[in-house]
Amino acid sequence: MKPVLLIAVNFVREQRWAILVLLLWVLVLAFLGLATDAARQSEDLLFVFKQVAVYVVAFSVFFGSSAIFNDRRSRRILSVLSKSVGRQQYLSGLVLGMSMASAIYGFALGVTGSWTLGEAGFPVQQVWFLMLCLVVACTLAGSVALMFSTFLNPFFAAGATAAVMALPAMVSYTTGSAGWAYVIPVYQLAATVLKSSFDSPGKPVWSPIIWAIVETAAFWLLSVRIFSYVDIAVSVE
Amino acid sequence: MSCALEFENTTKEYRSFLGGRRFRALDSFNLQVEAGEIFGFLGPNGAGKTTAIHLAMGFMRPTGGSGRLLGERFGHSGTRRRVGFLPENVALYPRRAETLVRFYGALNGMKGSHLDKRARQVLEMVGLQDHAKRNVSRFSRGMLQRVGLAQAIVNDPELLILDEPTSALDPLARVTVRELLLAARATGKTIFLSSHLLSEVELVCDRVAVLHLGKLVRLGRTADLLQAGERAEIAARGIGVHSFAGAVAQNGSVRFSVPAGQQRAALERIWSLGGEVVSVNPERRSLEEIFLEVTSNPVSPPAKDTP
Repeated sequence: MKPVLLIAVNFVREQRWAILVLLLWVLVLAFLGLATDAARQSEDLLFVFKQVAVYVVAFSVFFGSSAIFNDRRSRRILSVLSKSVGRQQYLSGLVLGMSMASAIYGFALGVTGSWTLGEAGFPVQQVWFLMLCLVVACTLAGSVALMFSTFLNPFFAAGATAAVMALPAMVSYTTGSAGWAYVIPVYQLAATVLKSSFDSPGKPVWSPIIWAIVETAAFWLLSVRIFSYVDIAVSVE
Repeated sequence: MSCALEFENTTKEYRSFLGGRRFRALDSFNLQVEAGEIFGFLGPNGAGKTTAIHLAMGFMRPTGGSGRLLGERFGHSGTRRRVGFLPENVALYPRRAETLVRFYGALNGMKGSHLDKRARQVLEMVGLQDHAKRNVSRFSRGMLQRVGLAQAIVNDPELLILDEPTSALDPLARVTVRELLLAARATGKTIFLSSHLLSEVELVCDRVAVLHLGKLVRLGRTADLLQAGERAEIAARGIGVHSFAGAVAQNGSVRFSVPAGQQRAALERIWSLGGEVVSVNPERRSLEEIFLEVTSNPVSPPAKDTP
């Protein structure tokens, strides 16, 4: 377990600038909270909150699709996997690192959202549930991207991830079948955040979260299987 | 004696993305590295040395054959706890040297004050104790290589696999590394050393193998290989410098070399000329000569100087 944690913390440290850029958006929300009358501008604040929230999903795809590639291109992966670290532990570390990165963001946004939206009358408990949805969605999106990145370069891995996440959502949207939204429930979880409003803040629905966690585990297993066959010392250029 | 590293008919082919073009980097490669020896692994660029090392470390799978690292099949992660590895081009995360060495030690299951102490100790061993708090991103290539060596030995490994460990080092640092390797051997460690610096290999290695185009072309004890010359150098007094072809006068004696098979006849000729034999020595070849000899020829089955 310790190598997994070490790799995860190392991943977060490596991505610190990207995380800081993300946190700047949270600062924007905080600034709006300070500069505006929360009660009168509540809808605007909620709009910014939702917009800022979904950015992190895109960043998770970026994190997931580039993590292995960056380590292989720089050849730093050799120093890590020359230790007593299995490939499944390495991938677990990356998934945990992506979850930690999105959790840091989710926590910062949750604190800011509780303050700004809470002041405008949005249930604080629901803000934290939305953040949980967001972190789980990010972890799943990152895991899908990570799986594709075991055999594709980051550009194609990100594209494939976007396609895999978007297709069921589009089918669900066009057919109106809720079942399709659960195929890869990133859309379902993001929609929970996007559809919340002051009139209808929503209530905690756990099924997409549980399903997303199960799928994250499944994609991790698939990644491990594929990655065990990859010649990691071969140049990725 | 047990084997620390063993390749059994190992073959590795690289294939293009769609599998059309194939390149055989390692071809039915057999090698046994005994525990407790310093083993030199030589070969020109593209010979397959790094491929063999990467297979041993489990970074890639062999196309054919197999191998064992400290008794376990290649790729067994638990075994790597007992192995230290320095890659050819050291690439490290941008951290302070001490933090980095602790990170790699922790990945190998080390912890607490033992790890802290060991990290400081290995940085001192490679001469970086004064730079322990500096970020390695500001290090020169030679310093990076030394940090790489420090992370390789932090877990006090039984087997040390070093791919070009002295390529970026200055002569002083090379001496430090050489002493470090000899000290490691004295404590029973096994060292598998891939290097282009033949003079270094000649100085420290007990046995050497030469790889060429993916095949093993020479294997033997370093001392035997160097002395396996087919010529003898003879020094004599009391004879003319023109008595033997290629003879030179040196310090009052005449020196020349003859094929080993003609040594007896040459000695008898010296005596018949009224001369006196000062010395007869088997001509010692350099590893460089052997290297050039075996790598300039088409690949043939390995010549084993020892069983």
